[in-house]
Amino acid sequence: MTSKTVASSVYDWVDERLGLSELAAFARHKTVPVHSQSFWYYWGGISLFLFIVQCFTGVLLLVYYQPGADAYESVRQITFVMNFGWLIRSAHAWAASLMIFSILVHMFSVYFMKAYRKPRELGWLSGMALLGVASVFGFSGYLLPMDELSYFATKVGLQIPSAIPGIGEAIANMLRGGPDVSDFTVHRFFALHVVVLPAIFVPLLGFHLWLVQRYGNAAPPSEEAKPASERKTMPFLPNFLRKDLAMWLIALNILALLASVFPWSLGKPFDPLAPAPVGIHPEWYFMSPFEMLKLLGVVLQGEAGEIAGILLFTLGIVLWILIPFYDRGKEFGQRARAAHYFGLLAVFALLATTIIGYWTIR
Amino acid sequence: MNYPFWDIPILGSGWVIGIIAIFHVMISQFAVGGGLYLPLAERKAMRMPAGPLRDAWLTQLAVYSKFFLILTAVFGTVSGVGIWFAIGLTHPEATSTLIHNFVFGWAMEWVFFIVELTTIAVYYSTWGKIDPKLHLKVGWVYAGASAFTLIIINGILTFMLTPGDTWLAVAGTGQEASKFWYAFFNPTYWPSLFMRTCVCCALAGIWALITASRIDGDKQPELKTSLVKWSVKWLVPSFVATPFILIWYLWMVPASQRALLTLGIGTIGSGTFSVVTRIALLIIITSATIVGVAYFLAYRNPRDFNLSHAIAILLLALIATGAGEYSREMLRKPYVIGGWMFSNGVRVPYVARINQEGYLAHSNWVWNGPILNERLVTPGMTTLNDPTFSYSRGEAIFRGECGSCHTLNGYRPLGKLLAGRDQANIRSFITMLHDYKPDSPYRRFMPPMVGTKQDIDDLANFLNTQVNPLAPAAQKPMQTAQK
Repeated sequence: MTSKTVASSVYDWVDERLGLSELAAFARHKTVPVHSQSFWYYWGGISLFLFIVQCFTGVLLLVYYQPGADAYESVRQITFVMNFGWLIRSAHAWAASLMIFSILVHMFSVYFMKAYRKPRELGWLSGMALLGVASVFGFSGYLLPMDELSYFATKVGLQIPSAIPGIGEAIANMLRGGPDVSDFTVHRFFALHVVVLPAIFVPLLGFHLWLVQRYGNAAPPSEEAKPASERKTMPFLPNFLRKDLAMWLIALNILALLASVFPWSLGKPFDPLAPAPVGIHPEWYFMSPFEMLKLLGVVLQGEAGEIAGILLFTLGIVLWILIPFYDRGKEFGQRARAAHYFGLLAVFALLATTIIGYWTIR
Repeated sequence: MNYPFWDIPILGSGWVIGIIAIFHVMISQFAVGGGLYLPLAERKAMRMPAGPLRDAWLTQLAVYSKFFLILTAVFGTVSGVGIWFAIGLTHPEATSTLIHNFVFGWAMEWVFFIVELTTIAVYYSTWGKIDPKLHLKVGWVYAGASAFTLIIINGILTFMLTPGDTWLAVAGTGQEASKFWYAFFNPTYWPSLFMRTCVCCALAGIWALITASRIDGDKQPELKTSLVKWSVKWLVPSFVATPFILIWYLWMVPASQRALLTLGIGTIGSGTFSVVTRIALLIIITSATIVGVAYFLAYRNPRDFNLSHAIAILLLALIATGAGEYSREMLRKPYVIGGWMFSNGVRVPYVARINQEGYLAHSNWVWNGPILNERLVTPGMTTLNDPTFSYSRGEAIFRGECGSCHTLNGYRPLGKLLAGRDQANIRSFITMLHDYKPDSPYRRFMPPMVGTKQDIDDLANFLNTQVNPLAPAAQKPMQTAQK
């Protein structure tokens, strides 16, 4: 029996039980629109790739990391003693930042291409949920080394949930495991980071990807306006997939470049009694909400102002999440234009508050 | 310290060379690889059956040769001269040694440059105007001349890493030029030549993809497919052979230098010592990626291959080239010319003499005479113990001994690296560099601090003023580089 016939009989055996040919037939018919904005289609895939990198590097870190009192020492060993431990840790941390970045790019490209419209509303909602979980991943992972910077940044970051009127302090206390960030917090964040969040993220991601397979890539309104004969497409298999893989390779290189040239270092061990070092600030992806709340606090003074600020901030996010139910029409009408301007406003606010945040670091 | 110092704050003078050199290497190695690509592509087109594809290939090659001419003859040449300016200012001692040894090497190279520049101009301007066979011959002359420029400069570049025992035996005797060919065909000459040749071919393919990507795949599908696929194949030799040549190359490098590569496996250290390991990792990953990306984006999808894809590959090549050149430079540490001259321009056999006479003893670039400003003179004061002069001398020593690798507040900043130390601590650190004991970990990548006890004090005083600006000993500069 030649190796070819062996392979085909193995394939037949699996196919009979799992129905691979149906999947292959489905995949063969899947196409991706080709137009001047096609570049933005790769960002979802890049986010997925970076998530896979984090699963892989995360498991390797898990082998040596110890939550609790030894957290700092174990990270110190990973960074300064284990062979290539620094590389795995740097890749994990940089991939986290890059993943949030590519999810944000993906989100805004979906927004401006109006890809959230019927029937893709659930794709949008699940994507927003994934972004939410990803940012909690980032927040919980940041504390784990328990160095000075992560300790104080977490302390500052927990001001966001504790600002919620009424229940805020209770939520913050539950996350901290007490009134202060301590070893208990590390245990909680660790459980969150490696068990709870993956258990939420992975099925949600599966659902999101299933929706993408079901409805395919949305073309922007300018493409939809063209007659069908003028629209170009390319087969998903193999053309788009090959390009996707090339993008993954490029993303891997950028990750390698950042991890090698700017390896993630480790600060001093945390000391709750020491004063916060100069320039403590949240990670870049939390800078904008942090700064927005701070600015709203300046504009709206007093306790009532604080509540009003939180409500305004929450309203903005709710409006953003519910956009598919507001902007539904196929035509580029008044609502579509309003949504477009809302999107531009969001990009501007995000960039402006981030820049102000970094500008005004103490 | 025979030369004035070129002080580049923040960036450091080394990076001025680095930036120009990486840019230059991307183009000059393309000039060599492209020299082979053009006549081979022309020959391939001439062997095709007469028809539209053959004509389209030749037309496209004429377009490519214009791009090639402008890029290599303008930017390649200008950046090459730029390297001369930068190395002359940054490493005058090392440049002087190179000129004294290789002046005839460069003379030969310039002959080939002139042939190269002339033939590429002729090659471009005679498309369709002279007999095609003669035109192809012009292309071959260009290929030969450009290959010889690499063959020559490679001898000089590799000499700096591994000058070889024969040359080292006569170094400093005035007889160095008599061992020209030993210095030229030094231990790393051949692996480096093969490696650079492979890289040249890869760069020829990568740059050719830039022009090929601009062909309209819908209008000329056959031309675009054949040209893109053929260009991607130029990446293959580099992909297959480089790992083996790299091992050969590293085998020829002295073990003490090779050890630098392993420094960063277990640790990121303070971020500086292990940087060569980290950058070297990039060469491997990026080189492998270039082939993967070129395969997926270009070879398997030639018709859809567009300019942004081509630029992505080019940028990856830039990372690989940058990482490669950086690692090669770093591998030389603590020398700028292996075994002969430390990276701060101090010749190895001069260390004992400078330790006795003082680093600034023969320098024209710092004030050594009596105190001119009488208001500064207090009873019992001599030039040496005046704190303001100590600061000035310390600054001059910093520029001379530290400045070729460090800045105060930018690249490899001493302000940050020495942070947390007081004057006594800085002084003991400098003393450790001065003593250069066999078990000192800094020996692996740093030259010794040379000079007298007074020099150590002066440098410590200057650095302390920079690191701890509020320290009571702080003195502002008064008289630096005056005569």
